[in-house]
Amino acid sequence: MTRSFLLAAAVLLPASVLAVLAALAWGSVHIPPADLLAVFLGEGSRLHSTLVLDLRLPRALAAFAAGGLLGLAGALMQVLLRNPLADPYVLGLSGGASVGALLAMLAGLSMVSVSAAAFAGALLSTIIVFGLAHGTGSWTPTRLLLTGVVVAAGWGAMISFILAVSPTAELPGMLYWLMGDVSHARNPYPAWGVLVLVVLLALPLGRTLNVLARGPMQAAALGVAVRPVEWGIYIAASLITATAVTQVGAVGFVGLIVPHMLRLVFGNDQRVILPASALAGGILLTLADTLARTMIAPEQLPVGVITAMLGVPVFLFLLYRSR
Amino acid sequence: MKNLAQRVVRPARNLLLLPGLLLPLPALAAGITVSDDDEREVHLEQPAERIVSLAPHVTELLFAIGAGDRVVGATQHSDYPEEAADLPRVGGYSRIDLERVIELEPDLVIAWRSGNSTAQIERLRDLGLTVYVSEPRHFDGVASGMRRMAQLAGTRDDGEAAAAAFLDRMEALRAEYAHRPPVRVFYQVWEQPLMTVNDDHLIAQAIEVCGGENVFGHLNRLVPRMDREAVIDADPEAIIGGGMGEDRPDWVEAWEEWPDLVAVQRDNLFFVPPSLLQRHTPRIAEGTEMMCEMLETTRSRRPD
Repeated sequence: MTRSFLLAAAVLLPASVLAVLAALAWGSVHIPPADLLAVFLGEGSRLHSTLVLDLRLPRALAAFAAGGLLGLAGALMQVLLRNPLADPYVLGLSGGASVGALLAMLAGLSMVSVSAAAFAGALLSTIIVFGLAHGTGSWTPTRLLLTGVVVAAGWGAMISFILAVSPTAELPGMLYWLMGDVSHARNPYPAWGVLVLVVLLALPLGRTLNVLARGPMQAAALGVAVRPVEWGIYIAASLITATAVTQVGAVGFVGLIVPHMLRLVFGNDQRVILPASALAGGILLTLADTLARTMIAPEQLPVGVITAMLGVPVFLFLLYRSR
Repeated sequence: MKNLAQRVVRPARNLLLLPGLLLPLPALAAGITVSDDDEREVHLEQPAERIVSLAPHVTELLFAIGAGDRVVGATQHSDYPEEAADLPRVGGYSRIDLERVIELEPDLVIAWRSGNSTAQIERLRDLGLTVYVSEPRHFDGVASGMRRMAQLAGTRDDGEAAAAAFLDRMEALRAEYAHRPPVRVFYQVWEQPLMTVNDDHLIAQAIEVCGGENVFGHLNRLVPRMDREAVIDADPEAIIGGGMGEDRPDWVEAWEEWPDLVAVQRDNLFFVPPSLLQRHTPRIAEGTEMMCEMLETTRSRRPD
């Protein structure tokens, strides 16, 4: 564990710093390296400082935090459900958040209210899925997964309905939200707070999660209080997903792919995978957002498109290599 | 019921008529023939009595040419003039309720090329309805569309007068403002995502009439989605917001967050109701006039 932990740290920490630096250096306006350095030393021109410190920095940090949260949520869900296809999106969390956000946009509310509505929608979805999966019968991961998938399908239908009845002028905003867009993230610090808090809480639990990943019977036999741990994971994963979607909209895919990629490289030890997922998710989303801003600059692309375009080939390559 | 039978039979009958269409024009001279914006000949035996409009701007144009009393149905958001609000609705422009259209038994349907679905326009033709397709570009397109629709509706004189009045007003604005010192303008269509227009857009043409210069006019897409950074770098002298509805959106004031922008320093943050600029109707003249006054204000705020 120590070896892969150190390896992960040695690769991912510098990569994180580089990803954020790349996000600061590239944008639709070209800033030469010398001027960029001047900005960091506090000597840059006003235009350059505004661009780098007021526009690019908060956005890069927001993208990193949201990506980290999504990666972490995916890793937790996959342990909880013991299913490689589990991620926050499969369980209907993003669907609930999307319906909340779209309804707020339809009502013409401000961006802050849209974020709040997305958060509320994600929590509502959590409660519905959890309550129904709990039901009167036994509570099993399979049952939870099935409930989540069906609830997600229900949200999907509602999203289509809202899109169908919305005035045309609202549609671009709604579609961008659904595809993920970091441009409205203004204050990244709450997301960072949640990210750091959950990573710190999860680290001491790593050993328990390792046991749980082997199955509830083994875990119970080894003295793990299975039910409370499972509930705890579910609630934590829901909260961090809700936080992430309020920042960047419904960015899919990060939570599914990042933990798998890391498992292929570092092995399935939750004490490594959880913090590594947070860092790698952050790197992926930060780089994706940088590309979204620059590929057809000065026009922008939705970031969700890029995460998939970056993530799919890398994932398939790793999977192919690991046979 | 008779109509149902007729509708089923009519496509076949049109096929039989096809050779007739190839005859020289005098054979059709009895009725009215104009070409629509698809360059397709639209022929009516007599002026249309029952017109269905498939777009808000079409409804507005029909009222402007004095054919308002002949409109028997319109799409949602046909909200100008006020009388239009009471018309029977035939669905939204992107999804027409074909049954309603047929129920109204129109002798002329005016469709919108870039708003209606092509398949639905074809379907209406297959059902035997006469369809005129409107797709006005530029101010001239608005005027010529009014003239042609007026011929079909039998209100030629009113249409001619409305078109001439509109062109005169635009010409007067151009004469007064187009040669004033240029003002660099950022027109913001929407905030989330941040959208503007390129120079092919009607709004950019209004900016040009007012002696303004669209800072993103060179982009390829008609309505590009922008990076905020590019706007700040372009540093426009005036920012004009549109949005939706008649109220000034709060994202116009949100630019004050960037106090280094010239537009913010000189308080040149404006709003023009989008219904006055984004619809191809004679009311564009009103929106353009508002915009010209704003650019004049912008010029007056220049330090000497």
